[in-house]
Amino acid sequence: MTLVWLLVALAAVPVLAVPLTGALQRRAGWPLALAFLALAAAMVPSAREVLDGGEVTWTAAWLPALDVELALRMDGLGLVFVMIALLIGAAVLVYSVEYLGEGRQLGFYLWMTVFALGMVGLVLADDLVLLFACWEITSLASFLLIARSGSGAESASARTLFMTFFGGLTLLLAVVLMVVATGTTSLSQALASDVWTERPGFTAVVAVLVAVAGFTKAAQFPFHPWLPDAMAAATPVSAYLHAAAVVKAGIYLMLRFSEAFSEVPVWNALLISVGLFTAAMAALFAFQQHDLKRLMAYSTVSQLGLITAAIGVGTEKALTAAVIHTIAHALFKSGLFMMVGVIDHAAGTRDIRRLPELRRVMPWSFATVVLGTASMAGIPPMLGFVSKETILGSMLEAPGPAWVGVLALAAAGLGSVLTVAYSAKIVLGGFVDGERAKTCHGPSAGLFLPAAAPIWAGLPLGLAVWVLDVPVERAVQAMGAESAYELKLWHGLAPELFVSAAVIAVGAALMTRRRALYRRLEVDLLPGTGADALERIFAAAGHVGRRIAWTVAADHPRRHVVPPLVVLTLVLGVGSLAVLGVGDVPATQPDLWRPIDVGLLVLIALGVVATCLADSRVAATVALGGVGIAVTVQLFALGAPDVGLTQLMVEVLTVVVIMLVLRQLPRRFGRSNIRRRGGALVLAGGLGVAAGLGTWLLTGRRERSGPAEYYLSEGTEVTGGDNLVNVILVEFRALDTLGELAVLGLAGVAIVAVLTTIPRAALDPPGWTDRAERIPLRPVAALRDPQARAALLDAQSNLRALQLLLRVVGPVLLVLSAVIFWRGHNAPGGGFIAALVASVVVAQVYLARPEDRAVGPARLHLALIGGGVLTALASGLLGYADSSFLQPLYGTVAGTKLSTSLVFDIGVYAAVLGLVMVAFDRLGATPPDGSATEHTTGGPGILEGAASSPATTETKEEIG
Amino acid sequence: MTVLPITIGVLVAGGVYLLCQPGLVRIVFGITLLSHGANLVLLASGVSAWRGEPLTGVGDPAEAGDPLPMAFVLTAIVITLAVTVFMLALARIGHDDDTRHVPDTGEDHHA
Repeated sequence: MTLVWLLVALAAVPVLAVPLTGALQRRAGWPLALAFLALAAAMVPSAREVLDGGEVTWTAAWLPALDVELALRMDGLGLVFVMIALLIGAAVLVYSVEYLGEGRQLGFYLWMTVFALGMVGLVLADDLVLLFACWEITSLASFLLIARSGSGAESASARTLFMTFFGGLTLLLAVVLMVVATGTTSLSQALASDVWTERPGFTAVVAVLVAVAGFTKAAQFPFHPWLPDAMAAATPVSAYLHAAAVVKAGIYLMLRFSEAFSEVPVWNALLISVGLFTAAMAALFAFQQHDLKRLMAYSTVSQLGLITAAIGVGTEKALTAAVIHTIAHALFKSGLFMMVGVIDHAAGTRDIRRLPELRRVMPWSFATVVLGTASMAGIPPMLGFVSKETILGSMLEAPGPAWVGVLALAAAGLGSVLTVAYSAKIVLGGFVDGERAKTCHGPSAGLFLPAAAPIWAGLPLGLAVWVLDVPVERAVQAMGAESAYELKLWHGLAPELFVSAAVIAVGAALMTRRRALYRRLEVDLLPGTGADALERIFAAAGHVGRRIAWTVAADHPRRHVVPPLVVLTLVLGVGSLAVLGVGDVPATQPDLWRPIDVGLLVLIALGVVATCLADSRVAATVALGGVGIAVTVQLFALGAPDVGLTQLMVEVLTVVVIMLVLRQLPRRFGRSNIRRRGGALVLAGGLGVAAGLGTWLLTGRRERSGPAEYYLSEGTEVTGGDNLVNVILVEFRALDTLGELAVLGLAGVAIVAVLTTIPRAALDPPGWTDRAERIPLRPVAALRDPQARAALLDAQSNLRALQLLLRVVGPVLLVLSAVIFWRGHNAPGGGFIAALVASVVVAQVYLARPEDRAVGPARLHLALIGGGVLTALASGLLGYADSSFLQPLYGTVAGTKLSTSLVFDIGVYAAVLGLVMVAFDRLGATPPDGSATEHTTGGPGILEGAASSPATTETKEEIG
Repeated sequence: MTVLPITIGVLVAGGVYLLCQPGLVRIVFGITLLSHGANLVLLASGVSAWRGEPLTGVGDPAEAGDPLPMAFVLTAIVITLAVTVFMLALARIGHDDDTRHVPDTGEDHHA
């Protein structure tokens, strides 16, 4: 199986998880695990090729303009990590079935499989950009897996995200520097570049950046707190995260780059010192814990510290040790984590102080945990012994004077003593110490077997460690080393053997006095935890952010609106005057105005003044509508029939929507104070004059533009459409229109989102209005005119006329809409206008109803918007059949020349109709909390002078 | 001598005045007036001396107006509709659209 098919298949697994969890509920873990195992099996031929000394690659162009390729490469190192990710993943998925509670658990399976995809993508990536992308996928997947584990996990997941994204940023910086310096985004070429030997200073910077990125993922000091935090996630998540995924991504990164950096002193010093310090520190922390899971988490930090230090040493033996310990750790730590879950399930707790003596009721679990901890503590003949001893031995090879190696060995030894101690604490605390177990029962096979399998695998692998010789050799060679150090269970009387023996002896001796030791050590050694420190950093950053934001933030829009308007006034006004001052302005064209313009100016000016001065909202709406109609006429007068028609329809719909909203608001506008009104007036006058001056100065002083001449002479020939505005919209500049559709759709979705998430009832009680209710309402009963009373009291008969009208006008409008749509290519019309005409039918249907109800089925509007945008996109993709996105294709059907831009126009039609339906359904329907009537125009009584709103049912209910 | 710039000036002035008022509905009205003004500016950029309809086969092509600004304006009108409807929805959230008073939503508004 080629690499790309592995990734495609892995990407298909999360997609499969959706129907599988639907059908099988949590049992979906079994087929998903099977898929992982099948993929691992399918990789065997490629793996064989790698083990024979070759490498498997696959490349495709991704971003050719940037020379970024979708390059995959599997060498020995990649193979080790791919197999860890797939095999441990399979074990964890099988285990999850029994471990997780009843239910679908879609989120868990989805993100676990995405996690595996990200991990495999990371280790196979041979392109720096791809590497970074996969790195971030693992960050996001781990965040989502932790975040979905209940409310306690929220802050923990945020801290995890913060740490891993910090690492992501340093990696991004390193990647950018590498790409710039080496001139390639190929990982293998960048690693082999001469830059690393030629520019030591630069190399040191990049090495530190890569190391920091690795530290964040591999939970090295000071980035370690996220890992114990992350144990808030479900146990299977922890098992995968600690053993095979995120933290191993950090190790992988450091291993991968050791080819370039293993001779860089700062890399050696940083990795060795941080790794060993972390190893000892975290081992001590682990020993302090009494929550088994937390203990395991710190233990992972400690073990990864040892691996980091070995990578820092960078010799053949050290890299061999790092690889073999990565494998050993993946096996015993995934198993031990799952065994903690087994204990938790059996005893109902994982607190050592409360766990009973489990060895009698769970002998097999006892044996398994003993083996796992033995591997962790480095006791023969487990694989962990071989790897731990190799690491200890490699410490002596640390670069620099001989004492460095001795010191490193001593530090690693100290960490290992504590490892032996906490490993013993797990066994003794969980299975030996404590009261006799009464109610516990052993685990089911489905829970126990996947947990035990990786641990038991460590026994034969330790005894026959030579089977790992070839894979480890290939992995080490992938890092630029000649060959691997030979792995053996018995190496003769080497120094590391004595150290190992001493470590085990001291650790065992310590544990004989464990009660005293627990008392001494199970106290807070430090004033706070890393999580606390991080929370303090968050709080401080938030504080600084708020202070910075304070300078520009305001809840009142005036503060956001006024500064740009002032700047615009100055730029436009002063700029225009300056241009006039220079004096070199071309003359205006003759005939720029027609008499009708003057009449329209008067109407518009009157309407604008009325809109500004009106105190009643309804009156202002009427005036605004008047301005709109006058502007529409002006558009027609300018020779733009399409624009005019669109404006007319929009005007009608806008007024209807405004009325829908107004009936839920106070009847009158709030008043601003005199000083502010004065300021607004000055600004308005200033910008009005500047806009007029600018327009006069900068337009109408040239011949018709080149594009205009082109469209007018060639447009019809190119597209077959006579209506040039329409062909520009759907063909020449269809991408603009697509963007506009997206805006339209987003507005519709945003309305739905905002109005469904903020219930009015949750806001303050009504009544905070300065003078809205000052005008008294007249009770309906007091109306003298019986017809007016009847009209208000009986919604049904009140609407007869509208209903009759709809019966006649509705079909006519729909036919008209279809005609307008069809003729759009050649005559004024098209998708926009046709949809707006159809929208008028929607408005009619709504208005003719006696009650506030949604016009169509509940989600029809969203379906129309989504469908519209997708249709437009799909018609754009059709263009690839010819040359490019949105390129229209032409054909002749039954003698009529047709274009795929017609499909595009259908998308436009649907999206516009969807938005209008959103407006009616969401703004027109009565809010669920029923607060609409509290002080609205539709309240118990009617307004003097103002028209009644469509909310007639409310009126009826209030009065009836 | 031309009239369109004056019309634009009036629309912009009215729009800016309303934009500075408290109350989201007035702000929306202001944006509507401003968009009218902006749309006319766009059309003016096509030079208002040519006022024929840009339809092939209708009228004299030598008299036809520039279709490109018209397409821009058509797009702009529909976007204005979307923005207006969205802002009106926002105005409806509280019991009042006054922008000086922040409704108590349980969220922290101030630093």
